[in-house]
Amino acid sequence: MSPKSLADRLPVLSLAIRNLSRSKTRSALAAIGIAIGVIAIVSLGMFGSAFQRSQMQNIGTIGNNVGVFPGEDLDRANFTERQLREIRRAAQPADLIAIKQDVREMRSRDGTTDQTVYGIADPDRLFDVRQGAIPDNWRSGIIVGDQLATIEGIETGDALNLDGQTYRVAAVLEDAGQATLVNPNNAVILPPSRFAEDTYTQVIVLSDTTAEATRTAERIRTAMNDRRERVQVFEFSQLAQQINQLFLQLNLFLIGIGAVSLVVAGTSILNVMLMSTVERRGEIGVLRAVGFKRFAVLRIFLTEAAMLGLIGGSAGVVVSVLIGTGIHSLFLGDPFAFDTLSVIYVVGGFSFGIGSGLISGAYPAWKASRLDPVEALRE
Amino acid sequence: MLIETRNVWRRYTLGGEIVTALADVSFGVKPGEFVAVVGPSGSGKSTLLNLIGLLDTPDEGTVLVDDVAAETLSDGQRTELRRDTIGFIFQDFYLIPTLTARENVALPQLFTESATERNERAVALLSQFGLGDRTEHTPSELSGGQQQRVAIARSLINDPAVVLADEPTGNLDQNTGKTILGEFERITDDGTSVVAVTHDRLVTDFADRVVELVDGRVGDSTKATQHVS
Repeated sequence: MSPKSLADRLPVLSLAIRNLSRSKTRSALAAIGIAIGVIAIVSLGMFGSAFQRSQMQNIGTIGNNVGVFPGEDLDRANFTERQLREIRRAAQPADLIAIKQDVREMRSRDGTTDQTVYGIADPDRLFDVRQGAIPDNWRSGIIVGDQLATIEGIETGDALNLDGQTYRVAAVLEDAGQATLVNPNNAVILPPSRFAEDTYTQVIVLSDTTAEATRTAERIRTAMNDRRERVQVFEFSQLAQQINQLFLQLNLFLIGIGAVSLVVAGTSILNVMLMSTVERRGEIGVLRAVGFKRFAVLRIFLTEAAMLGLIGGSAGVVVSVLIGTGIHSLFLGDPFAFDTLSVIYVVGGFSFGIGSGLISGAYPAWKASRLDPVEALRE
Repeated sequence: MLIETRNVWRRYTLGGEIVTALADVSFGVKPGEFVAVVGPSGSGKSTLLNLIGLLDTPDEGTVLVDDVAAETLSDGQRTELRRDTIGFIFQDFYLIPTLTARENVALPQLFTESATERNERAVALLSQFGLGDRTEHTPSELSGGQQQRVAIARSLINDPAVVLADEPTGNLDQNTGKTILGEFERITDDGTSVVAVTHDRLVTDFADRVVELVDGRVGDSTKATQHVS
């Protein structure tokens, strides 16, 4: 006798496990059904979430930024220092980055090409560096965009000739994606002091949230434009919100597909438990005869169904996390990039697994508990 | 009387027809008495056992257990009374195949006693019936006679006032049957009554009293036959 065994401490659980082990294949198939349902919910959820995060990485923080360009009715082609101050005042408390733009002749081994050149005082606020570093007090040296550096084979420390003047390459930028107000991928960035004129082709206003960006854009429009359109304001906050909404719907759709498979799995538990009720009629009769109340019988059968959910759910979670590492690795480059949403999917999927076990087991358990002991023992 | 039926009627609907299983049956069991209920198939033996076992309720008449009228109790109350006063033994033993002999014997106390108490009591009972070395065996590892002794031990775990046995020797050879009936004698010696429904002549030999049921009625007369063993 082992007085501290599971059967002694948790007799109903122990009974349930042993009952399930009577028809191992059937129980295993039912649990696998639940596992597949949980995997479907969690993996599809994680897939949607990781896809969204990877897309948002590409889209970047564009929704938080507002682009201000010279409007049709501005008295000149570019903004002057005075107009820049006006925009800065209107945009407060948001911060802004003024951008100069020019085309210069770049000389390389293959000849000369016209090259877009930007003048930005602190480019590290807009772009990420993949090689080298942007000096703190940037007065000399240049920064080269990802695509240009790749095509021309440019690396940090190389010399680059622009309009006959030679610059040292201080840094090469990461690919900035396509959805950006200033695309540096195929451009060169110089310190603004390297431009002859203090005029600006565009201003980027930085905000912390898309909502704040919308408000800032509205303030700039009100301050700068009356009947004349002195500035054109481009804001992507609405677009960003729409994209977020789209992803939310996509995620719900994916999880919905997963939930359907869990409902199918639930039916298989219903089937297994109903068969079990029929097969164990005599046994139910004995339990009732030896003094088990209806609720006790219900408890035993419900525990069996919950155990199927628990086993299937646990297996599903393990497989889902493994699949999740694959998905994260594929979309985000980091297999362990689990965020709060991933954890919610795992916990939610697991709870759904146990829940569907319980719901599917409820009817057979109720049926077993209502069985007339005289009828049951007549078998 | 420990258990008594007074003018009990029980009818079933079978294939659209009403069948009377028991007709005006009055029957009683005294403490420590071994009563055999005999009669042909369909005579109402099992119906009587179900009624006094509180598994069923009569259409008319009263079933009294410890002077409590069973039909006035709820299903839950009847279950509690059954658990505390009645032990069951079946022809097919009806042991739970996944449980050991000890666990099968302790089963009726699963929700009422602590693990230590029910295990100790189960082992003591099994030892009493010569199965002290078989406590951790599952039913499939036991012979028919051993399984029936496990079933007897299970019926006694709650110290019942009466043990109801449905064809207790039906699946056993004559020698094993005799051993089992010997156990019944021991039980009655301890003051527990036994009511056995049977076709087996051997059981009637061991019984203190034989009650014959014919077509749902007791005997040719209303009196039970006193049998001399």
